[in-house]
Amino acid sequence: MTEKEAERSTELAEGDSRRIEAVMLKERMSETELRYAIRVYLILPLIFLLVTLFGGMRFSATDHSFLFLPPPLMCLIFGAVTVFLIFRARLIEFDRWFNEASPILENAANAGVVFLLFAASVQVYNLLLPEQGLASWIVTALFIWTLWNDIFADFDQKKLLRSLAGLFAIAFVTKYLVLANLAVKNETSWLQRIIENPGKEAATWFLDLPVYSPATGYLQFFTILLFLFGLFLTPKAARKGDLSS
Amino acid sequence: MRPPYIHIASLLIAAVGLTLIVFIYSTQPKNLTEIAAKSSVAIGTYTIDKKEFENGIAAFRRDEFETARAAFDRSDPEKRDAAVQFYIAYSFYRQGWGRVSNDNDLFTKGLAATEQVIKLDPNYRSTDAELVMRTPIELKAELEDGLKITVSDFNPLKLTRERK
Repeated sequence: MTEKEAERSTELAEGDSRRIEAVMLKERMSETELRYAIRVYLILPLIFLLVTLFGGMRFSATDHSFLFLPPPLMCLIFGAVTVFLIFRARLIEFDRWFNEASPILENAANAGVVFLLFAASVQVYNLLLPEQGLASWIVTALFIWTLWNDIFADFDQKKLLRSLAGLFAIAFVTKYLVLANLAVKNETSWLQRIIENPGKEAATWFLDLPVYSPATGYLQFFTILLFLFGLFLTPKAARKGDLSS
Repeated sequence: MRPPYIHIASLLIAAVGLTLIVFIYSTQPKNLTEIAAKSSVAIGTYTIDKKEFENGIAAFRRDEFETARAAFDRSDPEKRDAAVQFYIAYSFYRQGWGRVSNDNDLFTKGLAATEQVIKLDPNYRSTDAELVMRTPIELKAELEDGLKITVSDFNPLKLTRERK
């Protein structure tokens, strides 16, 4: 090999290594992209998993033991409508989360996050709906009415978040402040309860209200806040680059 | 970091988290201790508390059956051990046994506990030499016999029988 040929070969080798390095750098994420991906793929799933876990959790009024109530079918329907509204209000843009041009793994991870959002929505309705009795029927009917109207309303992201926050706030106050205070704790005898507080006893019997420990209300308050925080953190696009474009 | 690693981590978090939530909602633990016990049953590392079991046997031999059952319950909170459940069933039999008449409530509870032993280990045989009945089948027959009212119940010689 002549000296000229050796120089040419070295130049080619250097050029190749620079190209390989450029491709590797392109595949790696920048600091901002990494933080964005951590938010979408790690923090959001954790938030929605916590909401899913705590949504059906109650504390027994007698011994403060855990009770885990699975969601009724109605909550699944409400959860599906909520996810539909989220897509419709473009809080999540479908094309920027599910795309044929993206790798299968990325689409699968995005589907996982959306599924967790659905599970968390279901559990939020589970925590807001009274468990049984007349109150459950009334609140369910009001939810159906509100969500049905929302389907046809003209929404953007801010309006949707405000609407959901308002709906959850009023349902929370109804269940954990108004109805919970109407229900009597079963520590004393039936006769004693009738004599001491006939109004409450009548409301408990008429509305068929279950009684839980006050800790339930505190837990569910923070669960709703966590869900709304999760929605607030949910970006329109799953990739940082798609968002800026 | 490359994007696929984050995507794989996200899918793993979702899968593990959902499995855990489904497990908790299906097993309905009442406190954190129960969560740990039920998890150990699920992964196959569940063992009874030997010290509580010994305490239970000591109380059983002193005829302090309620104390014994409380110790047995602490020893085997998940009701997965045939030996502990056999002693619980036996304690119901001994406490409910009477020379003239038996306590039907205790015998019924004993029968339920015996069914649990048979479900856990149909061939269980106790090694305790102080017990007259060594298998759940014998105990079940004795409890069922005690719950029935037959002509032999009116036999005066019945007063001479002994507790097993």
